[in-house]
Amino acid sequence: MLDFMFFVFAGLAVVGGLLVAFHRNIVHSAFALVAALFGVAGLYWTLGADFLGATQVLLYVGGVTVLLLFAVMLTTRDSTRVSIGRNILVAPIVGLLFLYVWQACQGVVQIVSGTGTVVTEDVAPTTGTIGTMFLQRDQYLLPFEAISVLLLIVLVGAVTLARRGQEAP
Amino acid sequence: MTLLLTLMAQASEAGGHAAAAGMQAVAGAAAAGAHGAAADGASAGAQAVVITGHAGQLTSYIAVSCVLFALGIATILTRRNVLYVLMGVELILNAANLNFVAFARFGGYGMDGQMVALFVVILAAAEAAIALAIVLRIFHDFGSIDITRTDSLRD
Repeated sequence: MLDFMFFVFAGLAVVGGLLVAFHRNIVHSAFALVAALFGVAGLYWTLGADFLGATQVLLYVGGVTVLLLFAVMLTTRDSTRVSIGRNILVAPIVGLLFLYVWQACQGVVQIVSGTGTVVTEDVAPTTGTIGTMFLQRDQYLLPFEAISVLLLIVLVGAVTLARRGQEAP
Repeated sequence: MTLLLTLMAQASEAGGHAAAAGMQAVAGAAAAGAHGAAADGASAGAQAVVITGHAGQLTSYIAVSCVLFALGIATILTRRNVLYVLMGVELILNAANLNFVAFARFGGYGMDGQMVALFVVILAAAEAAIALAIVLRIFHDFGSIDITRTDSLRD
């Protein structure tokens, strides 16, 4: 059952990514990005990360892509069709990068599978564990506070950037 | 952080038998710690879902992650619209997140991978908000969001 769900969500992610990379209509690409991000959220669920998957759906699918669609509709003037670059040099670069990352990951995969451990511990629900880890001083309390300050900075900065030059001359 | 550092250190000497033995000890300790934390965090009466897996499945997740990464790079390199570049960055961040979660899951590292992935998701949302404010400014100043035409910082 989990294998089946893996293939469903992996297919969703890969097809969405392909459409983002190669579709000519930017609105369609934005919606394909929604599908790709939802597929990744499903992969999190098959990995036992239920809270992370829900956060992915809320923040990415609900937040980031809506922001992207706003920007698309605010900045695209005459037509939503955009040209795909014809740079033939891109293909070997992407291929070589893919091979490099694949090989680098295979090194770690060999180590992990060399341990011979079969993962059977309880994994879900993870929400309580994540909340505890966020607020424990020897674990993730400092990054948690730092990212809170960062979000405040982002909030003020985004408003300042977007409104500059629009106040009364 | 310990997850990342040990993974990188072990990867540099990949394949060695001693490395595998050391990895097993580290993974065992991490799993034990995570299990204790989980027992503390989960309240009594919560029905725990047990998901079994083996390291063979790890390769499938890594394959999806690598494909997403390559597609993100292709998007960034071929498109001339700023918004497409942003979409490519989101794809790459998701690929990295998938790696974090999959390696932590099948390597027996407990919750650390998910924590790092959560921070990455939050940072990606912040990045998107700032980037879209900048995109609106670029459109206001240049009249277009073609990245080949935005070639000056001041007018």
